[in-house]
Formats: sequence, C-alpha cells, structure tokens
Amino acid sequence: MELFTPDFGLVFWMFVAFGILFLALWKYAWPVILRSVDSRADLIDKGVEYAQDAKAQLDNARAEAESYLSEARRQQADILREADKMKTQIIEQARSAAQAEAQKVMDNAKLQIAQQQKEAQQHFRNQVSEFALDIAGKIVHNQMQQDASQKKLVESLLDQIDPAK
Amino acid sequence: MISRFKHIILLMLLAVVSVGVSASEPEKADSAEGKINPKEIIFGHLLDGYGWEVPFDHHHRIPLPVICYASDGFHCFSSARLDHGAVYRDGDCTFTIGGAESKYKGKLVEIVDGTEVRPWDFSITKNVCALFICILVVGGVMLWLASFLRKHPYKAPRKGLGAVEAVVTFVYDGVVKPILGPQARRFAPYLMTVFFFILVMNLLGLVVIFPGGANLTGNIAVTLVLSVCTFIATNFFGNKHYWKEIFWPDVPLWLKVPLPIMPVIEIFGMFTKPAALTVRLFANMMGGHMIVITLMLLIFIFSAMSPVAGGASTVVSLMFSIFMLLIDVLVSFIQAYVFTMLSTIFIGLAHEHEHEEDGHGEHSIGKEIVDTLV
Repeated sequence: MELFTPDFGLVFWMFVAFGILFLALWKYAWPVILRSVDSRADLIDKGVEYAQDAKAQLDNARAEAESYLSEARRQQADILREADKMKTQIIEQARSAAQAEAQKVMDNAKLQIAQQQKEAQQHFRNQVSEFALDIAGKIVHNQMQQDASQKKLVESLLDQIDPAK
Repeated sequence: MISRFKHIILLMLLAVVSVGVSASEPEKADSAEGKINPKEIIFGHLLDGYGWEVPFDHHHRIPLPVICYASDGFHCFSSARLDHGAVYRDGDCTFTIGGAESKYKGKLVEIVDGTEVRPWDFSITKNVCALFICILVVGGVMLWLASFLRKHPYKAPRKGLGAVEAVVTFVYDGVVKPILGPQARRFAPYLMTVFFFILVMNLLGLVVIFPGGANLTGNIAVTLVLSVCTFIATNFFGNKHYWKEIFWPDVPLWLKVPLPIMPVIEIFGMFTKPAALTVRLFANMMGGHMIVITLMLLIFIFSAMSPVAGGASTVVSLMFSIFMLLIDVLVSFIQAYVFTMLSTIFIGLAHEHEHEEDGHGEHSIGKEIVDTLV
C-alpha cells in the first residue's frame, strides 16, 4: 500500500531539510535560548532568595530596633527613678547640711555672746575697782589734811618698819 | 439572549442547508463522468502530489518543480506539464504521472520502450514544499527568539515570542532536563528541534489552504527520518553500560548462554523503539486527517442521495469535523510532545549509569513510561 511505503524523494529532502534546520538551530539558536532561559531562571531564583533574605533581615532589624527601643525606655524609666531618688537624697542632704550649719552658726553666736558677756563683766569690774580706788584715794586725802593724824600714821608706819623696836 | 442564540442557530442551519443543496449541483455534473469515489479523494488528500491544490478550484494547481534523475541524467521541469495525465517530453526522455491502473499510481514515471520505469525522483512535491515552509517557519521563529534573547539577555519576551519561549521552557524544563539531567544541554538542541518541527508540521497540516494542508507528519517517510535520527542519537552516543545491557543483560545465565535469547530480544528492541515512534506519529496524524476528510465526504455522499439527507448530514458532518479538527490541534501538540519525550527517554536510557547517584529515580520513571507505551 502506498501509504506505508516511504517515498525516496521525500526521505531525501527530509534528511536534507531537517539536517539544515538542526544544524542551523544547533549553532545559532538553541545555545543562546537555553542559556538565557537557564540564566534568567537562575537570576529569578537568586532574586527571590535575595528578597527573602532582605525581608528576613528587615524583620530582624525591626525586631532589633524594637528591642533597643524597649531597652531605652526601660533605661529611661530607671534613670528617672534614679534621678528622683537622687533628688530626694540631695534635698535631704542639703537640709541636714543646712541644719548643721545653722547649729554651728548658733553655737558660734552663743560662744561670742558668752565671751562678750565675760568681757563686759571684766570691764565692769575694772571700772568698779577704779571707781573704788578713786573714792578710797579721795577719802584718804581728806583724812591726811590734818597734821596730827598724819604724824601719827607716819609714826605708826615707821614703827612697823623699824625692826629694832 | 436565548432568542439571539436561536437566531444564530437558525441562520447556521439555513446557510448549511443551502451549502448542501448547492454542493449537490456540481456533484450531479460530476456524476455524468462517474460517481464520486471516496477512496480516491481521501487518498488524494492523504498522499503526496506534484502540485498544490488551490482552494475552490479542482482544475488548477500551484505548479511545483519536478526534479528527477532519469535514464539520461537530471531533468527539471514544471509539474504543470504533467497535469491531468499529460505526457511530457523533456530532451530524450518521456515523463508522465502513473495512471489509476499503473503500478506507480500518482507518481512520476519515465516511459522507456512503452513500459513505465520509476526514475530517481527528487521532485519538490507538495510535501517537500510544505517541509520547506515548515523549516522556514521553525527556523525563522527560533532564530528570531535567539536574536531577541541575545539582544536582551535577562528580559522575558512578551506576546508571540513569549508564547514560543513558554513552549520552549515547557519542553526543556518539563521533559529534557528532568530526564537527561546533566546530559540535557548536550541533547536538547536535537530534541527541541524535533519538538518544534513536529509541532509546526502538525499544525500546518491542519490549515486547509495553501501554506498548510499537506499531510506531512502523516507521511511515513517523514516520521521514519525523524525516528532514524533518534535511533542515531540513542545508539551512537550510548555508553558502555547501554551496550552491556543489550549484549549481556543482567538476567539468569541460561537466558544468555546456549541460546542468546535476551540479547536477541534486546537487539530487536533497539529497532522496535524507533519503529514504534515512526508508526505512532504517522498513524495519529494520518488518522486525524482521514477522519476529517471522511466526515466532509459524507456530505457529498448523502447529497448524491437526496438534498434533505445532504442538508442534514452537512450539519452533523460540519459539527463533527470541527470537533475533530479541534481534537487534532490537541493531538498535534500531544504527538509532538510524546515523540520528544520518548526520544528523550531512549537517549536517557542509553546514558543511564553515568550519574547514578543523582538521577536514578527519574530514570526508573522513564523506564516505566517506556514499558507502558512501547
């Protein structure tokens, strides 16, 4: 049957034509196409990988930032608390220091007052003794104006001095 | 919506019936010469020819060059000179086309001393011409794609070229790479060429007018050449293990030693594989063409009986043949895919133990497929 008998001419041309097509595509088409398809697939794979990496890194960074932020907040709170404590401490200290100072000043003042009192007393005593001496001198002077009494006194005094007697 | 649909159906019916009636007119004229011969018409379409039919004209054909090596050397002339059984004298030789009762029916013959002798026929017949068209289409499209990719290395082509590239990756990543593994780059050029060549031939065969319509993949010469190429690719590049499996397979000794039963079967298998490839593609495509033509012929056969039967059969035949053509589009793709896949598997089996550790599972899948299909 002619349907099942290959025709010589067609076999010949088929070999020639298919051979030419194969060689042409083998040389000029397939290497370029397959290489570029493969390399594009690689590129896409790499791109996806890169994007995933980037996303992971971003997520990481975000988490890190979050943790830094919370850490900072905690530190802030700590510092505030610390500062508060310090403030009260400082006030306390200042108060006690002021009290001590005031005490000192008062003590000093008391001492000075005592000193001045003493000095005033001394001065007063000195003046009193002076006045007393003056008064005594005046009295003695008045008494010595009479000769007789003077002589008497000198006599008595000489008597006391003279050891021979 | 429904009324519109009804409208369309009615129009279709009217048109189809009128076609049926008008088609029966020339049939009556023909019946003066003789009844229509379905077998002749079917084989006329399935087989090769020296000219290419023009649509709507049964008397004129696009003439194609006849090239042959006859008793006194090469001859080359237009096939128009042999139209309608004419005898043509070129130099000292006389040529004609073999008649209905000739041994070389429908073929170019040289008349030497009153007997018909077949010369070495290198004519650019309809099939050869379709082959060239197909080569130009495949080569052109692939070189276009290659030049695009060379110009834009990392850019994906869009539209038409994108579709071509999608098919390329479908075959390359879906068939060639998984089966051949590291050998893929080496054999991909052949396998991809075969795939696109068969696909374009199949699809062009379904186009009814000029650039298509040749039953090329339904011609055993074409499929034979393709499977011989696969045979060469398989056996010339087979490794040591492949040949050991053929001549000294891993079976009990009594199957090999006194009588080489297994080696004989294996050697037989070497040839049945490409033979199966040949016949599968050929029979599928030829069958598709044959069914569509037969369905079309039913219109004329029934129209010869009565116009009413003709009209009715027109509707049925038309719908069935459109359905069959759509199926054939699918079959075109499937057959190209199957041919490529089987070629890949045969080549893969000839390289089986080269990279055992990385591709073993796939090869056993390949073997299973071969077992079920061959």
